[in-house]
Amino acid sequence: MSFQLNCPNCGKRAVSEFTFKSEFKNRPAADAEFSEWTDYVFFRENNMGRQIEWWYHRSGCQSWFLAERDTLNNSDHKSFWYGDLGQHSKNSDGEA
Amino acid sequence: MAKRITKHQNCELPNLGEEISFTFNGKRIKAFTGDSITSALIASGNTLLSRSFKYHRPRGAYDVFGQGHESLVSVNHEPNMLADSIQVQNGMVVKSQNVWPSVEFDLGEVNDLFVPMLPNGFYYKMFHKPKWLWPIAEHQIRKVAGLGKIDVTGKHVHRRYEKHYRFPDVCVVGGGPSGLAAAKGALDEGKQVLLIDDNTQLGGHSLHSIFPVNNCENESLNGLPENQAVQKLIKELAANPNLEVMVNTSVFGLYEDNLVAAQSGPDLFKIRSESVVLAPGATDRHLVFENNDRPGILTARGVEKLIMCHAVLPGEDTVVVTTHDGGFHTALLLKGAGANVVAVVDGRESGSAGEFEEQVRNLAVPVYKGLTVHAAHGKKRIRRIDIGPISGGDSHKSFDCDLLVMAVGFKPQVNLLSMGRKRPVWDAERQILRVTDLPSGMYSTGEVHGSAGFTRLFGEGIKTGKAAAKKKSVESSKRSEDELIMALPADIESGGKNHFICKCMDVTRYEAQASIDEGYDQVESLKRYSSMGMGPCQGKACHEAVARLAAQDTGLSSLDAVPTTMRPPFSGVSFGILAGRAPHLSPISRTPFHQCHIDLGAKFLNAGQWKRPDSYIDPQKEAGYVRNGLGMIDVSTLGKIEISGPDAIDFLQFMLPGKYGKFEVGRTRYSIMVGEDGILFEDGTISHLEQGKYYLSTTTGNQDAINALFQWWLLVEDFDVQVKNLSLANAAVNVTGAESREFLQKLVKIDMSNEAFPYMHCRQASIAGVPVSFYRIGFTGELGYEIHFPSEYGESMWNHLMAEGEEFALNPFGVETQRILRLEKGHFIPGTDTDALSSPYETGVGFAIKDDKVDFVGKAFVQNFKERGIENKLVPYQLEPNDPIPDDGVAVLEKGKIAGRVTSSRLSPTLKRGIGLAWVRNEMAETGNNFTIRLANGSDVVATVLDHSVYDPEGLRLKS
Repeated sequence: MSFQLNCPNCGKRAVSEFTFKSEFKNRPAADAEFSEWTDYVFFRENNMGRQIEWWYHRSGCQSWFLAERDTLNNSDHKSFWYGDLGQHSKNSDGEA
Repeated sequence: MAKRITKHQNCELPNLGEEISFTFNGKRIKAFTGDSITSALIASGNTLLSRSFKYHRPRGAYDVFGQGHESLVSVNHEPNMLADSIQVQNGMVVKSQNVWPSVEFDLGEVNDLFVPMLPNGFYYKMFHKPKWLWPIAEHQIRKVAGLGKIDVTGKHVHRRYEKHYRFPDVCVVGGGPSGLAAAKGALDEGKQVLLIDDNTQLGGHSLHSIFPVNNCENESLNGLPENQAVQKLIKELAANPNLEVMVNTSVFGLYEDNLVAAQSGPDLFKIRSESVVLAPGATDRHLVFENNDRPGILTARGVEKLIMCHAVLPGEDTVVVTTHDGGFHTALLLKGAGANVVAVVDGRESGSAGEFEEQVRNLAVPVYKGLTVHAAHGKKRIRRIDIGPISGGDSHKSFDCDLLVMAVGFKPQVNLLSMGRKRPVWDAERQILRVTDLPSGMYSTGEVHGSAGFTRLFGEGIKTGKAAAKKKSVESSKRSEDELIMALPADIESGGKNHFICKCMDVTRYEAQASIDEGYDQVESLKRYSSMGMGPCQGKACHEAVARLAAQDTGLSSLDAVPTTMRPPFSGVSFGILAGRAPHLSPISRTPFHQCHIDLGAKFLNAGQWKRPDSYIDPQKEAGYVRNGLGMIDVSTLGKIEISGPDAIDFLQFMLPGKYGKFEVGRTRYSIMVGEDGILFEDGTISHLEQGKYYLSTTTGNQDAINALFQWWLLVEDFDVQVKNLSLANAAVNVTGAESREFLQKLVKIDMSNEAFPYMHCRQASIAGVPVSFYRIGFTGELGYEIHFPSEYGESMWNHLMAEGEEFALNPFGVETQRILRLEKGHFIPGTDTDALSSPYETGVGFAIKDDKVDFVGKAFVQNFKERGIENKLVPYQLEPNDPIPDDGVAVLEKGKIAGRVTSSRLSPTLKRGIGLAWVRNEMAETGNNFTIRLANGSDVVATVLDHSVYDPEGLRLKS
């Protein structure tokens, strides 16, 4: 893995500066079924294609952000703040 | 015989520099500063450079560009250096490898006689049974196999390996005519360009070509011979301040997003650019025929380089085998240098004679058409060759000669292009393996798409350079009729069993066919079984021959010739390059008291990135100081996180499994942390220091991760909270022992009495004018106070405390001592005594969980753990006095089967017997139960489960 990731603060940097957390998922409600919790904690979509992920700029500005990445080739990804998730989804829907 | 030449009829000879000398296998060799090791050795008549890997056949210089394995030698005790690529230095010590007793007389040569006994995969077949044979065989094989010997003494190599970074707009790999033109094209667009070449000078094959330049778009070059034209071009480019040139630098890998990795001596370069232009060029094609590996067989471009760059004529009686006009060019250069060109053997039946063919014919050199080489004779040097039809069969004619020049077309150097994730395919028109469709941002140009004249290479290079600068796409231009070179059959089937496909690993066509017969009929499995292409050159020389012959011998068409996957590194990379300057790259963290520890003679240990005092004198003795009086330990490495804001309490309730509804100012509490999966990963204390301000301390090394985790939760959940990471801002010591209260009371104005400042409370005060906070906790089992204060007062505070503590016999103690003390109390350390499967209940800290809260991190799984009950348990144990102390991590046995493990084990200074913590099955965890610990040496000791800490079980001392 040697691709460059776009930090919304710092711009394009080597991916080795970042920590990957997980695919983006919504946390289940506190009283959700236990099976929903096991899905949340242990199961991954593991998409072949585009998916939204949590990344942390560990060796840089130490900010959390979301990146939509193509897991097939890491190319042409889009990074944005968590607060802009709604806007991002709207834009993506528009494209599709 | 080879010799140095002083004049040449067709070109000027280079300035060779000063005369120097070096040794080769102990023999003194004269050389010039401009020589490579290979050129100097050839000039002095040393044909033999090395022995082959398996059969120890004699091998000599072959391509002279460092592509093959033949020139691997040890230089100044550094193994596996390419003699072809290394410039000679005065006094250099060069030695042959893989030979015994010498390269001239190598006993390993007997292997060559036993070829039938050393078939492919013979390791797998021969020494398999009986079982006892393998270790003996392996020992012998290891002795004779392998290449250079590493200098394990480290006495001879004093190198400092460094990493460098470059960020040009355009990175051009290859400094031949195409690469130079591409650099020029990009420079003309105003870009910053980095141009890399692995030779000692730029210019590529043009340096040794006297083809005249015509119709070039750079008109000032027209009319010049190619070698002069390229020098003019280099001079013109050198003046451009936007160009950085790196020669003697080999690009060994190409990775995602245009990351180029290059090695230059002890330096690693990581180059990231907008566009990469690959212009690696081509090398003379490797032809397979009987004894095609013998010394005295050289590539045409190698011979040209020797003559025009080193003024070395590598032989006297010469035969040139060719399929294009370039071979006649080489013949002319040989003739002009005074060689006797016995014959030029041209594989083409007909076609118009090129410019150089005419010149050679005019010199009355015999030319044979429609034929090629069938076999070479001679062992340490060729004596004679046979020629015959290209389809093989019987030979027609023999020539006595000591130099056979191979000019049978060019093999594009597609390795780097192929690392762009595309497999090369056979281009029937151009008769080469080609990679055409590169990922965006990557470009390729030049002979890698088929050889061509200078004018075309220049024009194509300029076009590609400009396209790379503008990030536009560009296609390689078609080759003209007279530029296309027909490939000969990959193997000239002239009989005999020594047709070497892969010279590095000594694999012949015969052996390859045998492997196919055994069922390894896919090119990838064939490679792995026969080891073709797996030697030092990693298939650079042979991958085309392997692909073509594998297709042919498995009944496929030439269009199905697919080489095996090409991976980095393209050229040999030393481990030092990859490791960098130090054994590890992470930075070293030192606490503010580091110098004090050094002054006290501390032994240090690595705790993550931290240097911590392991002990000062002796851990057992230091433990005594704490138990009997007063000790102090540096705990600055603890994570320290301040949490404040209107929702601080809600945030703690959510992040931690405990309850904080009634958490008064001045209180300190123990807390664990669990993940969403319910697994315990951290513990520490949380203190309510001031109204609305909370202070969390975590274990060493976890502070950044926990800070990052908190920041994430603050982002996704709606809390009005500020989290401040004070881990480095604050230093901390733990002053502990029965006399700690009396000692500290002397230093502060606040009331330190047990009534005013009880156990698990915190207070703010000042010592010597420095604001400090006290946390009365009990990790060691004694009365103790953690003191936190700003890091900048570190040394002076440490020294002040040590000086003031003298009357109380205050002594420092280290991490090892602390581990012993806490073990006497049965305290676990997360990550040491727990792992990724440790539920808080099984770890024994269920008391820290209040799962009746609405929501908190890990609630669902914590509740699930509770319902599932306890399967395993972390228990304190003790051994009998005089029992040996087990190592950390050894197994716990139950009826001879593994039933758990010891996580921490020490000698208790208080009880004078072994104590520890162990994971055991729940049914074994009852107090007083005995279980077996298997020591590393195979013997057993019996441990007894305790239900309490061995030291001060009621906690009277720490609460006193």
